[in-house]
Amino acid sequence: MTGSDLPSQLPELLPRLWSFALRISGDRHDAEDLVQRACLRGLERAHQLQPGTSTLSWMFAIVHSTWIDELRARSRRNRSSTEWDDGMLETVADPAARTPEENAINNQIVNAVGQLPEAQRVVMLLVAVEGLSYSEAAEVLEVPIGTVMSRLSRARQTIGTLFGVRDNQKTKVAVASKDPVS
Amino acid sequence: MKMDSVLLMAYVDGELSAEECQEIEKEIAVSPDTAELVAQLRASQLPYAQAFAQQKLPPVPDSLTEAVAAMARAHAQRTTTPGANDAAVTRDAFTAPSAPIRSRLRIAPQWLAVAFVAGVVCYGIGTRFLPGFGATPNSSPTATLAAANPEEPGWVAAAAGYQQLYSRETVAQVPVNAELTAQTVDEIQHQDGLNVRIPDLSQAGLTFKRVQRLRFKDKPLVQIVYLPQQGAPIALCVMKEGKPDTTIAERRVESMNVVTWRHADLSYALIGKPEGTDLPALAKRISDNDVQTLFGDAGISMLAAN
Repeated sequence: MTGSDLPSQLPELLPRLWSFALRISGDRHDAEDLVQRACLRGLERAHQLQPGTSTLSWMFAIVHSTWIDELRARSRRNRSSTEWDDGMLETVADPAARTPEENAINNQIVNAVGQLPEAQRVVMLLVAVEGLSYSEAAEVLEVPIGTVMSRLSRARQTIGTLFGVRDNQKTKVAVASKDPVS
Repeated sequence: MKMDSVLLMAYVDGELSAEECQEIEKEIAVSPDTAELVAQLRASQLPYAQAFAQQKLPPVPDSLTEAVAAMARAHAQRTTTPGANDAAVTRDAFTAPSAPIRSRLRIAPQWLAVAFVAGVVCYGIGTRFLPGFGATPNSSPTATLAAANPEEPGWVAAAAGYQQLYSRETVAQVPVNAELTAQTVDEIQHQDGLNVRIPDLSQAGLTFKRVQRLRFKDKPLVQIVYLPQQGAPIALCVMKEGKPDTTIAERRVESMNVVTWRHADLSYALIGKPEGTDLPALAKRISDNDVQTLFGDAGISMLAAN
């Protein structure tokens, strides 16, 4: 893969860039602008894309840094999950899912990740959701691989604590959770 | 402690050797804290990908799909003729862009969706910024330009939106390739049928950087980019519109200043940031033909001659 292939690859990468942008920005208008801007930046820098580099992580890196720049420009980096478009945090019932509880758990997983501190949330999105390796995530975020791992372990401790509690109070949580079909 | 939790995560995820696992299991046996941490990490082994796959996300907007496809096409076209338009940015391979974005992302939400894509419905920018354009919507085949609003000069909005994305860095490093520019101008004049010349605006402090053949609704749109001594680049955009001449008019399109006029069936839009260059004065000089030509005058190229 070299930069000259980027134009032909971008359209097929688009759905994943779109969902990543939606998830990090939490706003569909921001996400659309973010992806456009990132694609433009990517194309302008296509010649810097080294053979052997994953185009997807390279584009994730540009989406992410574009978003960080944007947040800096807006001087409001402490976006909390309460500002999110609630509709985006819901999951739809999967016909393959066996039980309503499974849907409820999916909802809870998405919500739990959404409530992590920003740096941990992005690492979880890259590694657990997008399936990047630790080193790819480190390249995307421009941090050492050790930082990725420690953020990930902290994120997972938080989520583990949450779900440990859930396991103890299964019935209660299942009743309290949002109806995923609504 | 931090390294411990990373190590324990690797243990839980089954990434350690049997020997390392034994070490950790010994530790778990004697340390309730470690045991608790391992329990938390085990509880965090969840079907994340599956859960997020079920997340109800809005689909990729058509406008985005089209914009990216258009960008990719434009880029592929450009790179088939390497040289003049190749931005010489020197950054490390994986270094993310560091230039801060000066304005909100949302400055040009549909720029490419409107631009360069045939058949896309125009967005709601009214005639207020371009009186005269399209004032006789039924008089010309170019009325097809405005799918949603017959009076809409969509290409000016598109070009202004496009220009909004240009920063100084976008073109500062672009070397001017005289040969390729002359060739592009020749193609504009002979293939696109637009009698466009590249004015020399150096007296106004503007350095010519590049000319691009773009398309708006399948019609040629010429973009000539100049770099002033300070501030963002300025573009002179030209499209063929078989309508009566108009004198210059200044308008604001989003964050850009746009000065338009029409002469000899060519519509011009001079686009720049509000601060800096006096665009109306410059537009007057161009429209009065009070400038020299860099490229496009019967093969005479001042740059090529230098």
